[in-house]
Amino acid sequence: MKSVITTVIASADAAGRFPSMSDIEAVKGSFNRSTARMEAAEKLAAGIDKVTADAIDAVYGKGSYDQANKDKCARDIHHYLRLINYCLVTGGTGPLDEWGIAGMREVIRAQVLPTAAYIEAFTHIRDRVCVPRDMSPQAAAEFKSLLDYLINALS
Amino acid sequence: MLDAFSRAVVSADSKGAAIGTSDLVALRKYVADANKRIDATLAITQNVSCIAADAVAGMVCENTGMTQPGGNCYPTRRMAACLRDGEIILRYVSYALLAGDPSILDDRCLNGLKETYLALGVPIANAVRAVEIMKIASVAIMTETNTGRKMFEGINSGSGAQCKEIASEAASYFDRVIKAIS
Repeated sequence: MKSVITTVIASADAAGRFPSMSDIEAVKGSFNRSTARMEAAEKLAAGIDKVTADAIDAVYGKGSYDQANKDKCARDIHHYLRLINYCLVTGGTGPLDEWGIAGMREVIRAQVLPTAAYIEAFTHIRDRVCVPRDMSPQAAAEFKSLLDYLINALS
Repeated sequence: MLDAFSRAVVSADSKGAAIGTSDLVALRKYVADANKRIDATLAITQNVSCIAADAVAGMVCENTGMTQPGGNCYPTRRMAACLRDGEIILRYVSYALLAGDPSILDDRCLNGLKETYLALGVPIANAVRAVEIMKIASVAIMTETNTGRKMFEGINSGSGAQCKEIASEAASYFDRVIKAIS
């Protein structure tokens, strides 16, 4: 699983050297941002069901849709939000890349899924994040950048 | 390869749950103790040759036959291989300590090490003793209970006494090495 620390260690190991000062500085740099990331992860974990429901309401609006269809969409959004929660914890896009984005295009094409709906849902979530009601500015920045990363991958 | 953070992610994913407040307690502690962890890692990396050389010398002193003809550290080529292995083990322990997770040590160093040593005819009991000495030396440097120069005088987290917890984590990685080869 890729994170700042494992990437640094993997390259040190490939060169057969001990962790150097620059390796340690890189690790330290990720620690500096980790407070904000963990805050975002914590807030997201606490509100993940609410955020999902809110996004589903925004996407489906008042129209009458099949409930089973809605439930599946909610499940997927919840899944992606969970992966974003993991990315916030590791400080890299590893979990999204490995468990969310790898193979995503093939699955979406095979199932004929409307990616526009997902994009709308995540855009809605991104634009609804309110500072400081939901989280601190730095935490919101970390959260939003991961939502953008996912939206970009879905586009 | 995992670190403390990705370990939390993998275990949360197996439950299909997001990482919440209770799981973040340990990770916040990891970040809060980052300077101690870095100091402890440096305690190994800055004293590698010394720790490995002392450990091998100690092992030989306790078994003087090793450097005699027919011994496992004779001629110097084989003694050099021994020193090199000591440094390799220290390198992987320093990675594990920095990551806060032993998976890199397990995957890239310990997996198959015992089989290799058995195939090469390395005396396991002596190898274990050398690792034990490396453990004692590393912990002593981290906690500043060593004789001679004190590692943290006036820098970063300040005192070796604060590194006790992290030193015992380092000791657990050495114990892992011992367990894997015995």
